[in-house]
Amino acid sequence: MAENPLPLDKVDPSEAWQPWEPDAKQPWNLKWAGHLYRRAAFGAPLDRLREAVSRGLPATLEQLLHGEPDSEERLRFLEATGEKIAGQNNPYQLRGWWLYVMLHSGHPLREKMTLFWHNHFATSIAKVRWPQLMFKQNRLLRRHALGKFEPFLQAISKDPAMLKWLDSNSNVAGKPNENYARELMELFSLGVGNYTETDIREAARAFTGWHTTSEDASAEFAFNPRFHDTGAKTIFGKTGNWNGDDVVRLCLEKPAAARFIARKLYHFFISENAAPPDALLEPLADAFRQSDYDIAVLVRRMLGSRHFFSVYAYRQRIKSPVEFVLGAAHDVLALVGPNPNLRQQILSPESLVGRVDALGQQLFAPPNVKGWIHGRAWLNTTTVLARHNFAQALTAGSGRINLEQPPEQAPAVAPAPDPAAAIRRENLTDPVKIVALLADVLLQGDIPAPARARLVAFLQEGKPEGNALDQRVRETVHAIMTMPEYQLA
Amino acid sequence: MLTRRQFLTRTLKGSSLLAIGSVVPEFLANTARAAEPGKDTILVVIEMNGGNDGLNTVIPYADDLYHKARPTLRFTREQVIRINDELGLHPALRGFDQLLQRGELAIVQGVGYPNPDRSHFESMDIWQSADPRRKTPSGWIGRSVPDLQDKQGNVPVMQIGADRLPLALQGAPSGVVSINNRMPYRLELGGGSGPHQKARRQLIEDLARMTEPGESGDLLQFVQRRQLQTYATLEKLQELLRTQNGGGSVNEFSPFDRGPGFGNLLPKLALIAALITQGFGTRVFYVMIDGFDTHSGQAEQHRRLLQELADAVNFFFNQLRAGGHDKRVLVMTFSEFGRRVQENGSRGTDHGSGSCLFVVGPAVKAGPIGPHPSLSDLDAGDLKYHTDFRRVYATLLDGWLHCDSRTVLNGQFEHLDLLKKT
Repeated sequence: MAENPLPLDKVDPSEAWQPWEPDAKQPWNLKWAGHLYRRAAFGAPLDRLREAVSRGLPATLEQLLHGEPDSEERLRFLEATGEKIAGQNNPYQLRGWWLYVMLHSGHPLREKMTLFWHNHFATSIAKVRWPQLMFKQNRLLRRHALGKFEPFLQAISKDPAMLKWLDSNSNVAGKPNENYARELMELFSLGVGNYTETDIREAARAFTGWHTTSEDASAEFAFNPRFHDTGAKTIFGKTGNWNGDDVVRLCLEKPAAARFIARKLYHFFISENAAPPDALLEPLADAFRQSDYDIAVLVRRMLGSRHFFSVYAYRQRIKSPVEFVLGAAHDVLALVGPNPNLRQQILSPESLVGRVDALGQQLFAPPNVKGWIHGRAWLNTTTVLARHNFAQALTAGSGRINLEQPPEQAPAVAPAPDPAAAIRRENLTDPVKIVALLADVLLQGDIPAPARARLVAFLQEGKPEGNALDQRVRETVHAIMTMPEYQLA
Repeated sequence: MLTRRQFLTRTLKGSSLLAIGSVVPEFLANTARAAEPGKDTILVVIEMNGGNDGLNTVIPYADDLYHKARPTLRFTREQVIRINDELGLHPALRGFDQLLQRGELAIVQGVGYPNPDRSHFESMDIWQSADPRRKTPSGWIGRSVPDLQDKQGNVPVMQIGADRLPLALQGAPSGVVSINNRMPYRLELGGGSGPHQKARRQLIEDLARMTEPGESGDLLQFVQRRQLQTYATLEKLQELLRTQNGGGSVNEFSPFDRGPGFGNLLPKLALIAALITQGFGTRVFYVMIDGFDTHSGQAEQHRRLLQELADAVNFFFNQLRAGGHDKRVLVMTFSEFGRRVQENGSRGTDHGSGSCLFVVGPAVKAGPIGPHPSLSDLDAGDLKYHTDFRRVYATLLDGWLHCDSRTVLNGQFEHLDLLKKT
């Protein structure tokens, strides 16, 4: 790996997106498997990463793209559960449900992409109000997550939560409401600079009459011809009696659309720390257009590329709150080992909801239609502390993880994961070996030598044994989770 | 002015207070430092997110065109709080009226910038970066940090609230922190003895310092800086809240529970008042109040938001006045744009331009500044601005915070007649 990588505008775009072929010098190993699973999934336990290493990159990538063989079956069950939960009108539970799906659907890449689209088509329950509508939208995002973008954009334009979110019911002939038309161009398909204010005003007219059947949880899309403006509209210089479907099509006829989505996915999968020049994105955008906007094609191309497995991507993203919390959960569960009592959950996803919120990412409630601001904005003095404190609760072996649960209601013997179980299971007492195991699980061994030495010194201070050693191990896991390296995806 | 040492020697000579430990001297250091020349003024910026309807905030009630444009949303001469024969405040702004009566509320009218952008995000970025060309990736307050920094290493800029770090505060290598007033601000380390907790705390800090620059480069260093800054601020804030609480637990400190009827803004301003009173040394505070994007059913939501704003700011100055700190504090509000003059078909208003903002505090020249934008001379249905918002910034940067506005704003902007001569 180069010591000083070239600036991005010097990177050869035709090389960058070629499939990566590992060799003896740059092998497919634990470090890169961890990298792939942090980006394409929500992290993974060590044994899964080891399995990925032995299986090789192509097979691993295929499995990520298609999910476990039974993931469709699982999904049917999970969505049926989600529908029930949404009907109970409790947004908190619905967020817990989605975290559960992210962990247990057997198709983490699809969930990762669903999260991407939730941020892209950012809709908040704060205005939509009905969890049922948010659930319906979530299901729609998942269905199209790795499908074709045009039918996706058509469908989201008729999604009841979206219609409510962007005031479509008040968009009527003669009094157009521009909200949806503007965001469709600015945030959903083209980006600033690729349309004019006139395009927006005209497009708003094309969407007039796109309403919902009701204002409540049963709302469905309904076209209301009485309120539709049937006059001629001129959008991007093309004149016709356009309707909403036409506007979507006209947007996607513009070459800017493929670039816009490719750029956004670049930041999501590869790096938030650099602005790729258009030229670098062009092969991706081109492949996207050629494939009739097949999202899976774009994602596969990115995740299998040389550029993805390079310094341009490695640790070039800050973990989002969802990534941090679920990644830490995977790591701790890997240390806990197999759960002997299947009837008792060691770590309920619901207990994680308040933590994800505290880190700054309330699912189903992005701050506005632009979604969450990713990258450096995730970390401020408040959220750094919230990350540290979550890690403490998660690793303490007895901590109160669920922030929403009053302490007096916590069960007397709380089922808390104990990361020290790993060293008991493997009968480890040598501090160097213990730190090596923890560093493998948490950072795939990629940890600075002085930090490793410092952890060993901490672990053996006063030569703890038995319970005292267990306690020290938990504290060491916590310390690794506070490291700057661990905050990066 | 006394230095910290002089203060301690004079007032505490032979007193047992010195023996209490670091708490008291630290507190005194802050109080003494508050007097460093040119470094004791404070600005509180309130972001009104969503695009505040300026036309229904400062209302030209005597203008027929206003009543025509707002058939359902208008306020009559009898309903507004009259400022003069032409203008009135929205009826929910009683708190502002009280401040106006005291001569502490300035209303800057017709504020904007050339070629107004009607996208929330674009326009908000323009206000926050102070660059209508959108070529500047940092914020105007972030760029002021070098001028705001004092010798004591106090935190110059602080955001209160769980929201993302706004662009206005970005671009400073350090010196900007955020405090969330809903979370206890404390590092949890479980049980264990005092020395052991200290050892764990030390371990975390040591590990944060041991990053290897190299490949991951600046992002890793950013995380490292953010973490170290968190630990330093944590220490300081805990100390401060402890002294304020008379040595009680930090978690007993709760300025947030002020009874029903209040939203988020009041507790945030209450915390800021406490920090100012205790001499935390921060020069610029930043808070946000959200929900001004009133496309439909505007009346009730706008009323609620304006009342929250005015009541909270009024409460804030009452707190400061009680401690004699009000004279060194100004509040400035802003929103990304105003709203279209003509209301829409959903009893709401769409994105517009040209709005008003408030600057509040004993140091202002009270009353309207500049004329209300004309309702007969519109630009595509929107008010025309006459005062570039950067003139407000320049006035406050140079005249209040003693920063160099030309460096911060990358150009010279004529000052407004906004501040009393000192």
